[in-house]
Amino acid sequence: MSRRELELYFGPQHIGMVGNFSITLSVEGDTIVEARANPGYLHRGFEKLMEYRNWVQNFPMVCRMNVVEPDSMEMVYAMAVEKLAEIDVPERAQYIRTIVLELSRLASHLFGCWAYANMLGLDTVAQWAMAYRDFILDLFEELMGGRVYHIYICPGGVRRDLPQGFEDKVMNFLKALGNHVPEFDAAFFNNRLFYERAKGIGKISREEAIELGATGQVLRAVGLQYDIRKIEPYAAYANVNFDVPTREDGDAYSRIWVIRDEMLQSASIIMQCLEKLPQGKVYKRTPNPFKWNIPAGDAYVRVESSRGELGLYLVSDGGNKPYRVHFRTPSFMHGIPILEKLLRGANISDVGNIMISLYVVAPEIDR
Amino acid sequence: MMGKEIEREIKILFSDAVIDSTEKNRLKIRIKKDLAIYLLEFLKSRGFNYLVAISCVDWIKEGEFELVYQIGKIDDPLRIMVKTRISRDRAEFKSAINVYKNAQTYEREIHELFGIRFEGNPRLIPLFLENWNDIPPFRKDFDTRKYVKETFEGIPTLEESK
Repeated sequence: MSRRELELYFGPQHIGMVGNFSITLSVEGDTIVEARANPGYLHRGFEKLMEYRNWVQNFPMVCRMNVVEPDSMEMVYAMAVEKLAEIDVPERAQYIRTIVLELSRLASHLFGCWAYANMLGLDTVAQWAMAYRDFILDLFEELMGGRVYHIYICPGGVRRDLPQGFEDKVMNFLKALGNHVPEFDAAFFNNRLFYERAKGIGKISREEAIELGATGQVLRAVGLQYDIRKIEPYAAYANVNFDVPTREDGDAYSRIWVIRDEMLQSASIIMQCLEKLPQGKVYKRTPNPFKWNIPAGDAYVRVESSRGELGLYLVSDGGNKPYRVHFRTPSFMHGIPILEKLLRGANISDVGNIMISLYVVAPEIDR
Repeated sequence: MMGKEIEREIKILFSDAVIDSTEKNRLKIRIKKDLAIYLLEFLKSRGFNYLVAISCVDWIKEGEFELVYQIGKIDDPLRIMVKTRISRDRAEFKSAINVYKNAQTYEREIHELFGIRFEGNPRLIPLFLENWNDIPPFRKDFDTRKYVKETFEGIPTLEESK
């Protein structure tokens, strides 16, 4: 380190930091020479703890790995268990799962909009986004009994059927949110301030994105139509029509626009699912969890979470507990190599901007 | 379609490899450790340019660690799982960093949690843990409950410390 460089600690106690995460920056003036991501503040060793609990006891663990969007975590774990135990899921449960996953994607994207708008100082938009997220949490509370952590998706289906009148409530919510889109656009997405602050910030090329393991909107923002819901459809995604929005520039502006377009697609998916929702059972009985041995084997399953590819490598040795669980979380790649790469040469005032536009969630990195 | 083609080529080039293609969109390849990096290089040359993850499994009864490389392609649903086993006593392996750049972070994680050294990886510094001097925590012989008991029951309660 030369004498002109200065070491600067960004987080975990920093106004621009979203969550328990820190970055050590070497700066020269206002320019970042080198950045080192420093995770570990939320490392609870979930993957190891899951080896001590049986297949069903692990559900309250997996959802805690992503606070903002716990349902995709439950989904990927349930899918892996179903694959190893060869359970098939009733049609109605698959549709309900899709509705829940898309609602939680909406909630997560709204949370992301809150963080980004808040960072830019556009507090009105931030409060709108947070309010709509809260309406989704109300729906979750009615359906599953919990607002943030749900423990609703289980191997073989979902825990309970939709309550009476739930479909109408979801529709009313979607209509309210849809009616608000022009105002969101006027105040935020088409705002000159947003354009000036986000255009060209945190730019990544297509080759680098692939090389460094980017997924989700980081890949879609460089023009690649990569979406696991299309490539390897799970739940009821094969039966609904939707587009995969992309942008070309690979900067923060493109990423946030991809998120905006994705929210519209999510709303459309939910409406289609509500329309097509078949009748029938919502779960298939599974054996007593304490006596449930799953045949030896391994499986890699993946879902498209709101942040990108969420994968799970699950190994069973034939016992009633997992032998090894390894989550491939999107933030692990976005938050360490890609963030370090994008921060090099950036301005100090853009650190929060780049980090939020990559959608980094600290508990997903640490696990 | 692509899967069949690549499977045939691997069978010719790596005759020792055990290939399991029963599952849809998945190809599981078990290969000896000396050839694993060459197989990764071959896959990359055939367009599988995306390293999704590296997982490690501790098979303590066999005395081995299993490294599982998940390889893919952006516009192809096929996922290739390259599995290789190394001895638990000599926990060393070659780094895949020259083939896939993002292997660096995964290897750093495995180095910390399982204690495997990756030759050629320049930055195997701690990732999550701080001042750790026990055996690597994700190994099967590390007992989390014993660790918690020893670490936290040694801390006196408020009443005791008065």
